[in-house]
Amino acid sequence: MRLDLSVLLPHLGFLAHGALLTAEACALALIGSVVMGAFVAIARTSSSALLQRVSYLYVDIFRNVPFIVQLFFLYYGLPEVGIYIDAFTTGVIALSIAGGAYASDVIRAGILAIDQGIIEAAEVSGLSRRVLFTRIVLPIALRTSVRPLGSVLINMTLTSSILSTITLNELTGSAQIVVSQTYRPFEVYVVLLVVYAALTYLVSLAIALLHRRLNRDMMEAVT
Amino acid sequence: MIRVENVRKSFGQTPVLDGVDLTIAPGEVVSILGSSGSGKSTLIRCINGLERLSGGRIMVDEFDVSMPKELAEARKRSGTVFQLFNLYPHMTVLGNITLAPIEVLKKPRGEAEARARALLESVGLGGRADAYPAQLSGGQRQRVGICRALAMQPRYLLLDEVTSALDPEMTAEVLTILAKLAQDGTTMLFVTHEVEFARQISDRIVFLDKGRLLVDLPTKDFFDNSGGMAQPRVAQFLSKMRKD
Amino acid sequence: MRFTDFTAFDLVLLAQGLGVNLALFLGTSLIGLVIGIAWAIVRYYRVPVLSAFITFFSELLKNSPVLVQLFLVFFGLPGLLHIRVTPVTAAAITLSANTAAFVYVIAVSGIESIGRDQLEAARVFGLSRWQVLRHIVAPQAAAFALGPLIALLVNQLQVTSLISVIGVVDLTKIGNILNMRTLKPFVVWTAVGLLYFAAAKLVAFAGSRFEKRLRAHSAWRGL
Repeated sequence: MRLDLSVLLPHLGFLAHGALLTAEACALALIGSVVMGAFVAIARTSSSALLQRVSYLYVDIFRNVPFIVQLFFLYYGLPEVGIYIDAFTTGVIALSIAGGAYASDVIRAGILAIDQGIIEAAEVSGLSRRVLFTRIVLPIALRTSVRPLGSVLINMTLTSSILSTITLNELTGSAQIVVSQTYRPFEVYVVLLVVYAALTYLVSLAIALLHRRLNRDMMEAVT
Repeated sequence: MIRVENVRKSFGQTPVLDGVDLTIAPGEVVSILGSSGSGKSTLIRCINGLERLSGGRIMVDEFDVSMPKELAEARKRSGTVFQLFNLYPHMTVLGNITLAPIEVLKKPRGEAEARARALLESVGLGGRADAYPAQLSGGQRQRVGICRALAMQPRYLLLDEVTSALDPEMTAEVLTILAKLAQDGTTMLFVTHEVEFARQISDRIVFLDKGRLLVDLPTKDFFDNSGGMAQPRVAQFLSKMRKD
Repeated sequence: MRFTDFTAFDLVLLAQGLGVNLALFLGTSLIGLVIGIAWAIVRYYRVPVLSAFITFFSELLKNSPVLVQLFLVFFGLPGLLHIRVTPVTAAAITLSANTAAFVYVIAVSGIESIGRDQLEAARVFGLSRWQVLRHIVAPQAAAFALGPLIALLVNQLQVTSLISVIGVVDLTKIGNILNMRTLKPFVVWTAVGLLYFAAAKLVAFAGSRFEKRLRAHSAWRGL
């Protein structure tokens, strides 16, 4: 039983490149998820019964079907309808759709938690629905949703490892290549495990910071 | 002119307003008194469209508040100040006041902000334009609420128990501002518990009891023994208020 | 290579695949529950070194991708320990450990949800730590943790789809095979998705039925 981590040293640059790809994919997918999540959350809190049902169905489907199946559906399916996009874009789209389902739950909770009186004050001053949502409801809901959205991002970072199955050389994919070159699967995967855990820890720190900054003005001043 | 015509409002099976008639002419200051549950707040919420009528009609100038397109116009002409302030927590004081003038009245930002600062000056908050609501006291927040309503240059100012959530000191500072507004000729409709204040600045006092309008008299006549006080419910109510 | 169309036997294949997922899901969930609760009890007794190690281990498992954990066990362990591991064995070990980590956290929060005053009262009456655990902590913690546990199980069912990547012939693997053969990705992956969806709904339904039965028996819901 020999454990030799030094065997990884020459490959650190390659792994770092993979990590960068993971970070890029997750960053883009986060934006996609929040945008999708906001739209779906608005649909779920709207007065139209049809919109409510359709959006609920979307959330239900993408939370109860494994991500790898969703990914394969897109990756193998899109070329059939003539859409030829690379693995990275496919991965980002898949992550955004899946992440959007979870994000919409979070944002919906944020919307429902807004003090009714604030909405009333905005309505009564004549603001249109569109302005009401973009200047009042969403800004407040998103500020209070930072922490749970952070959990969605952390989950997404871990889920992004599945993108290695569609030939994307993100962190896990790169690690697999390093294994094939070093014949040291144990060392590589142990390190990979720790790297992912460290990544998620960093993200949770960043989220805590962001939450504090965005909500600083809304917190009661200490008298 | 605001015309409330035979207005009825029920929440489910519970009737809260039962045939209320009321007219408010431009320049008038009218106070609505009554015990809790009498329907006072509901009446104001019907006028600014936050509650839908179960029966009757409310006209703000020539606009029927039950018609969606007309409600939008009616809302441009009235401003509401709330008991719990309802300021936008994520915006500065300046942002709170300028949002509607910019988005609804389409005023240019510079003009809206200048007017906002002038309003803040007039209520004694000139230096707090960049503060956030969370950093202000209750009285200060309500003063911002008043500025926010006034920024739209409304014809009618609706005030729903605007001092009920304030301690006596803050109540006094807000009432001073409202008294000045009344003096300047603003049309105001108060729902309030402050009987003394109502007596001092109102032209007319209206008494609501169990959803019905019992008395509608000029202030002097309201407190006269042969006028408003002749009504047993009014006398009962006023003596209770005096006891507190 | 002949591209064949679908046959009735394909339905059998799909069902078999789902069966593999369900079997592994049930097995690893059971083992994971037992281990996770055992870990929580270790922490309840505040065993010094072991508790810290368990917490560290659980955090590592929770904050790293299941796919990487699968690779570590399937590719890494054989190299390190010079043993042979079948895909199913690797899957069973990994999923059990992963489930245990999440069960541990849920169980701990369930235990900690019980007010300190109850525990003090019990101890003052002379009950041993074990008796307190058995009669006071466990029932209430279980009631508290039931909801999160059901949600966890639904999620772990999705996670089983990843065992296809290390070669287990589960529903996703069958999907890959059918996709390669028929070249009809939309049909194949929709069918696979539907089956997973139905299974997830089944688990959620069974869980809520169980929850209702449990609540019907205990009259003291939330003092």
